Parts: sequence; structure tokens; C-alpha cells
Amino acid sequence: MADNGPAIEISALTKAYGPVQALRGVDLSVERGEVFGFLGPNGAGKTTTIRCMLDLIRPQSGSIRVLGLDPQAQPVAVQARVGYLPGELNLDPNLRVRQVLRYLAALRGNRVNWGHVAELSQRLQLDLEMPVKNLSKGNKQKVGVIQALMARPELLLLDEPTSGLDPLMQQEVYRLLHEAQDGGATVFFSSHVISEVEALASRVAIIRRGRIVETVEPKQLMRMTSRRLRLRFTRPAEAGSLSEIPGVSQFAQPDPLEATLLVEGAMDRLIVALAGLPIADLQTERPSLEELFLTYYRDAEEVA
Amino acid sequence: MLTELWYELGRLRGRIIGWGIGLAVYALMMVLLYPNVVAMDFAAYLEAFPEEMLAFFPGITQIGTPVGYLDTYYYNYMTVIAGILAVGVGAGLLVRQEEAGILDLILAHPVSRSALFWGRYLAMLICLAIVLLAGQVAWMIPPQSADLGLSWQEFTRPALPLLAELALFGSLALLLSMLLPSARMAGGLVGALLVANFLLVGMANLNADLERIVAYTPLHFYQGGFAVEGVNWGWLGGLMGAALVMAVIAWLLFLRRDIRVGGEHEWRLLPRRRRSSQQA
Repeated sequence: MADNGPAIEISALTKAYGPVQALRGVDLSVERGEVFGFLGPNGAGKTTTIRCMLDLIRPQSGSIRVLGLDPQAQPVAVQARVGYLPGELNLDPNLRVRQVLRYLAALRGNRVNWGHVAELSQRLQLDLEMPVKNLSKGNKQKVGVIQALMARPELLLLDEPTSGLDPLMQQEVYRLLHEAQDGGATVFFSSHVISEVEALASRVAIIRRGRIVETVEPKQLMRMTSRRLRLRFTRPAEAGSLSEIPGVSQFAQPDPLEATLLVEGAMDRLIVALAGLPIADLQTERPSLEELFLTYYRDAEEVA
Repeated sequence: MLTELWYELGRLRGRIIGWGIGLAVYALMMVLLYPNVVAMDFAAYLEAFPEEMLAFFPGITQIGTPVGYLDTYYYNYMTVIAGILAVGVGAGLLVRQEEAGILDLILAHPVSRSALFWGRYLAMLICLAIVLLAGQVAWMIPPQSADLGLSWQEFTRPALPLLAELALFGSLALLLSMLLPSARMAGGLVGALLVANFLLVGMANLNADLERIVAYTPLHFYQGGFAVEGVNWGWLGGLMGAALVMAVIAWLLFLRRDIRVGGEHEWRLLPRRRRSSQQA
């Protein structure tokens, strides 16, 4: 395969753990230079797919090409060009952060710029002299991000990259990943958080029960996701007219000081209507990924 | 492979220091006691010893000689004592880090499974050799060791069969760790086999029928302190060969192995029957 082909190409990939079928024919294509989200609830097959790409586990059938190479035939060649962040990051507790990074850099033939490592640790506010056993989950995750990025790989395979990080650090990781993309890297990351995918990805594959359900653009995904609104009024108000606005559903007003509703698509007409009501507080939340699946993909799965 | 070798030796550093000092201190005590033991009239004591005890310590009838002393007080049971180290290191060489989820990240780096395996295996052998060397040096350094009247080559010879036995049991533990659900189970099983073999060898001196079984066990080919008089190179080669065969089988299994992480599947020999079939 030419070196300018897709960064990742997976076809009919299946993987079972004994009687448990984790992947049931995954098909996926990720272009070079793309930031690609891999979205699915826990247990959908995200981690298994990523680990197959690195030859950590072997699929039963199907084919994988990573940067034009077959990971089963040339694992070291693939791993040399890939940075990986596992979903459950575990580090040798007897070492300090710097020692961990030195060891992992040595596995890469010491082709790591330590100035870059220092910059990454500064931006993520991580002390390299800390013993691993004293690290919090968030700090451990920072080590994971640094080790994945430190060799400036062509492809980043990140399994839930911001797990355990506070919102500020999440934003910093998003910036680092965008910078990696600007530098020519392809970023493939898994997540079960819709907002994370929206912030990062140019395309998203949705996986559920070992199958790719759909590949979409994030804005398409956001259109599919409704918002739940909770309203509190300063004085008793009659808000029943809100249910007549297009896109609004599941309107409920259990008492005159409170109302809840679900809205899909653009919110401009709803906001205009709310302006006429004595609003004390307004809360919006997106439904969980599971709710999204239940709404949009249940029927498709039943047919499949 | 060198990166893995150094990393693994670093991981084993605590055990090398602890076991090395332990064996050295013990050997030192035994050297210092030698003149007192020689001065004792051991023949009278031996007559009072039960036959079963004598069977487990074949060198005890020659305890007044350097060979008998070395065998009885050091090499005879050192297979079991140092065997604990060998079995622990062998069983945990790869699988303990796999169970801890650390191997996942390491193997995602550009290091071949072969380099990782053989780098670590070599580190295990070096660890065992260093620990035995510490004991050897302690036997040879104090002035009292001159009373034994042995050259450094004679002092060193019994360490070779001991190292071969440790390599064999360490390799067996490594092999079983590739087959059994956990490192602890592999280590426990091989440890039990080691102790059983030691007891069997002793009992075979009492019961001729057991001799036929013992002839097929590793400790039958262990010379102990009697190797001072000359190493049986055939036995030594056989033990090292068997260790290498086990290591090669373990390596082949490791090459084909799915690296496990927590929650992926369960640590059991036989999978549990499930009605649901969703897992990642």
C-alpha cells in the first residue's frame, strides 16, 4: 500500500475472548492528518479495536493496515510510528516519572527530544521527579499523554485521552492534539463523551456491541443529540405554549414554578419564547451516549 | 534486548541485594563455624541420628571433610532456599506486569516480543548468578576458608549445578505462567513441585522403589557439594538444556499470546458460561 494511503484501514475485523464476541466485523478508514473520534459506550469494542491495531491482541479474522503496514506482520515497524495511550494506564510504581519516560524513550531507540518532554510536562503541570506510586489518577494520565506525544509520532492512538483530567487540563490536551495534527500527525482517539468528540474530531465513528453503527461529522452528531432543559420561574407561570415550538418535546410542568422539556436542533425560537417568561434559572444538559443510542440506533440494530 | 535486560535487572535490584546479602551472611557464618565442627567428634553424633535424617543429608556422613561440610550446610538444601527466588522471578518475569496492566504500554512501543522475552530471561539468569556469586565469595574470602583447603575452582564448581537447577525451576515457572491464569498460581505450583522433588530424593534413599521415579526428576541430577570433586558435565548440560527447552516453549507461547488488561476477560482456566456476549 502506498505511503499516502489511509492512516488506518480496518476491514471486517472480528475478535472474541472465548465465548465473548468483542468485535463483530468492524470496518473503518481514517485519512492521514485527520483527527478521528471513536465513540461508543463502555464495552462497545473501542479498546479492543485499538489494541488490535498495535498487535497487543490478535483478531480472529479481518484485515488491518496502520500507516500502510500490517501490524500482525510488522508490529515493531508500526509501533515505531505510533504513539499510544492506553485506556487503563498503569506504570511501574517503583520508578519516578522521569525514569518511566527514559525507559519508554529507550524502547524507541532514544529518538526523543528531551526539550520537547520538558515543554509537555510544563504545559501539563507535571513534576517529572515525582514517584509514580504518589501520582494521582489525573497526573498519571498526564504521564500517559506525554509518553504518547514525546516522540512526535505519525499516528496517535489514544484510548480516552482526557480521562481523569480536570477541565483546564482537558483543554490543554485538546490544544496539544490539535498542534500534533498541525504538525502532520493523524489522531485517532476513543471516547464515550460526546462533547469531547465535538471539541476534537473532524469525523466520528460510532461503535456499539462490536460493530460500527455510523461514521458522521461531529456537527451531524450534535444535530442528532437533543438537549434537556430545566426551567425555574421567579413566580408561577403558564409555560404550556413552549410545547408548540418545533423541536420541543416531552414538555412537563409538575408545578407552576418549574418546567422541563427536550429540544432538538436549533434553539433560537425557544429562546425568543423564553424571553417572555419570568425565568429564574435555566439548566441544559445533553443526554448520555446511551440515550443517544437508544434514540437513534436501536431500530437499526434490531434490523441488523 | 539490552534495554529490557537493564530494565529488568533494575526491577530485580532489591531481590539481588537482599538475597545476595542473605546468602553471603549465611555462607560466612558457615565458614567461621567450620573449625569448630571439624574439632567435634561427629561419629558419635551420627550414630544417634535417625536413618531418615541421614537419608535427606547424604553429605552428613562426611561432615568432617570440606565436601561433606559444603554439601550438608549449604548446597544440599540451597536448591529449595534459592529455588524460592528462582521460582518467584520466573513466574513473575512477564505475567506479573501483564496482570498489573504495565506490559500493555511497554509492548505498544517498538520492541519485539522476542527481544522483551529474551532480555528479561537473561536478566533472570544474571540475577540468579549474582546471588549465588555473593554466597561463593563469602565462602572464599575469610581467612578461615583456608581450613577447608579448597582452591577457588573447587569452591566454584558446586555453584554450577545449583545455577542449572535454579535456571530449570525458574524456566518451568515462566513456562507455567504462560499457561496458567496467574503468576501466583504458576509460582505456587512450581514451588510445590520443587519441595516435593527435594523430599522425594531424600525418601528414595530409604525406599528403593522410589528411586525409579526420582530418576526422572531434576534434583536426581543435582550434585550438591559433591561437585567439588568434579562437575558432571553431562548432567549440567542436560539441566541447562531442559531449562532452555522450557524457555523456548514459553517464548513461543508469549509470541502468540493476547496481552491481557484488567476487565478484558477473567483469570480462570475455563471460561464461565455466559448468556450475555458483550465485552470490550
